Amino acid sequence: MAKYVLKRLLSAILTLTIVLTVVFVLVRQMPIEGYFDNYDKLDAKVIEAKLEKMGLNDPLPVQLLSFFKNLLKGDLGTSARYSVDAPIAGIIAQKAPISAMIGMSSMVLALALGLPLGAAMARSKSKFWDKFGTAFIVFVNAVPAAVYYIYLQSYGAKALNVPMLFDRNNWHTWILPVFSMSLGNIAYYAMWLRRYMVDEMNKDYVKLARAKGVENKKITMRHVFRNAFVPMVQYIPTSLMYTICGSIYIESLYSIPGMGGLLVDVINRQDNPMVQAIVMIYSCIGIIGLLLGDLLMTVIDPRITFAKKEGAR
Amino acid sequence: MGLFRKMKTAPVEKRVSDELKARLQATEKAPFGFAPYNPENAEKSGYSNYSYWGSTFRVFFKNKLAVLLLSVLAVLLVFTFIQPHLPNQYPANLIVNHPITGMQMSNVQPSLTTVKATAPAGTELIVTPYDDPEWSAVSNVLADLKAREKFTVIEYGEDFCKVEYKDLTGYVKNDFSTKLKLAEDPTATPYEARSNFKIKVYSSPADYTLDGDELFVETNYLTIEGDKAVAAQSCDLRILPSTAPFLFGTNSLGQDLWALVWSGTRTSLLIGFVVAMIEAFVGIIVGVLWGYVRKLDRILTEVYNVIDNIPTTIVLILIAYILRPGVGTLIFAMSLTGWVGMARFIRNQIIIIRDRDYNLASRCLGTGTLRVIYRNLLPYLVSVITLRMSLAVPGAIGNEVFITYIGLGLPVSIPSLGNLINAGRKLVSTSQSYQLIFPTLVLSIITISFYIIGNAFADAADPKNHL
Repeated sequence: MAKYVLKRLLSAILTLTIVLTVVFVLVRQMPIEGYFDNYDKLDAKVIEAKLEKMGLNDPLPVQLLSFFKNLLKGDLGTSARYSVDAPIAGIIAQKAPISAMIGMSSMVLALALGLPLGAAMARSKSKFWDKFGTAFIVFVNAVPAAVYYIYLQSYGAKALNVPMLFDRNNWHTWILPVFSMSLGNIAYYAMWLRRYMVDEMNKDYVKLARAKGVENKKITMRHVFRNAFVPMVQYIPTSLMYTICGSIYIESLYSIPGMGGLLVDVINRQDNPMVQAIVMIYSCIGIIGLLLGDLLMTVIDPRITFAKKEGAR
Repeated sequence: MGLFRKMKTAPVEKRVSDELKARLQATEKAPFGFAPYNPENAEKSGYSNYSYWGSTFRVFFKNKLAVLLLSVLAVLLVFTFIQPHLPNQYPANLIVNHPITGMQMSNVQPSLTTVKATAPAGTELIVTPYDDPEWSAVSNVLADLKAREKFTVIEYGEDFCKVEYKDLTGYVKNDFSTKLKLAEDPTATPYEARSNFKIKVYSSPADYTLDGDELFVETNYLTIEGDKAVAAQSCDLRILPSTAPFLFGTNSLGQDLWALVWSGTRTSLLIGFVVAMIEAFVGIIVGVLWGYVRKLDRILTEVYNVIDNIPTTIVLILIAYILRPGVGTLIFAMSLTGWVGMARFIRNQIIIIRDRDYNLASRCLGTGTLRVIYRNLLPYLVSVITLRMSLAVPGAIGNEVFITYIGLGLPVSIPSLGNLINAGRKLVSTSQSYQLIFPTLVLSIITISFYIIGNAFADAADPKNHL
């Protein structure tokens, strides 16, 4: 177990280093305008001096090394255009909690709606709930999120008679963004829970329980649901982590001052240091989320050992 | 009873023992040796009339919904590619100008025909001269009234008031947009009144102009006297004699949305298909190597772990941010990560199937590698490959919409579904919402069809579902 955790940790760190290096090198290929607030008006000498000061004239490996040094100190650099010379870590620390709050609410909602839907689908095979759920899952998976988010915002605001834009202090304005954001996850949870539950229902121990005369409800709750939920646990840390990033669509649609909208903003302003920092945060969160997911799985289900996968080979 | 059974089994037992004796004699001559591959013998043991593809299609065509969507999709795909060659189509990026006024025809509502209004027989219309002898410009505007100019109301109506103005008799609209200043008791005519805004005096109580556009009618419907004309029969009024109908309306620039939507669908489908092809090509090659060559397994698994850990959207955003926006960039960015999933699925399938007993049996029977791959492995991979490929198309379309949404997508000069949706989303709650509805409708039909057909075909192609 400890060996597995250590191995998994090392591979995550390796991945992280590779990804950060790649992102760093790629963003350095961008035109240097992205490091200046008013590039066109600046004198060539001033530009040269500033490049020198930021260390952008150094050879790439030197830049990379100093970047990693700063990163270990928690210094993400300063913004160039979005909010001139402000430390990026500060900007993000301001934005992330808002995204996290909305993300958490939407996750709770997704679990609260998705799990019962999935269970209902598994229990009523090819009856109403199964058909409804399948149609819902197909729709959410096939149609790009932007499309139904836009309609949901405009018609939802009209139907519920709430403002279209987000206001932190007015809880009515939370409904639509939180609900829209949870749709994808509802479909995800429902789809996988249904699949795992159907798999589980066909297993011998469930048949035995049924033959013994155990109540249907008890079988579903005690045996099928619990076992079917285990593989889904792996996904939860990732989604929890991603709540910090917020949804790019939702935040820019509802003008929520969070991380997702921030990425779109800095891309449109071509603020190289900030794009780099945010992209890195996103990738870190993805990697850490997967790591936590794998570890959580081993904790929750002692039957799972990752030490040797595909032992059959 | 016992006796009867003995009588029946006795000859069989004799035959078996004879056969064994014969074999024993044969093996004494050459104890062990490879049996040569004999296709006839191979077929004897299997299903005689089982055909993989026949079975696949039979199962697929049982799924009514998938077949329906397949035909819808087929029609749609064919149509997108022949649409530019149909008569009366606008080029996608053409800004259509009004032939008379020269103004852009922006935000024209969608319509099936160019008929914009119908004037009943006997309607009095004013004819303005127009060069084309077949057509006459028609408007029933008698005069323009300035704001606060006085006129006399001689007959009061809810919608139109009959008025006298200078030496003309005509009608003015009576609604909130004109804000007529009428007498306290408006029905006690005649009296002087005025309007708070600039308004028009019409020759009959109906407005046959359209947002200030002149309407046109065929000359042979009219009896013309001077600058006045009376509709001889109920006649169709059109906005322009020379433009084809705007089936999906026009956008704010005056481009035909119908042409834009189909051109955008072509772009999006092109991206989707190319990405799916690259994904299949790279994914299959890597996946097969990964699954079959045991030495590569470790390295490729590590590479996979690195690539799989990076969120796809981040790769998309980063590549699109660094390279110039264009179809090539989008395809490159999507293909960069897309093949990973395909490769993993194929590798897993191969590892599962490779060492199964029936494969071992095939190999022991002397079946060639190619035949093992074609007969034993491929049927299990077809399902995975078709599923991944058919889901790659809606996925690529969705990614294109996403990249355009955050401002890194294709330039406006290359219409795509993402571009159109992005332009339309600001209009969702206005009267121009059709500019969002049409692209999203076409897009949803395509993505949902691919999704359902892909799943149905993958189910049908899975040999597990064939028995």
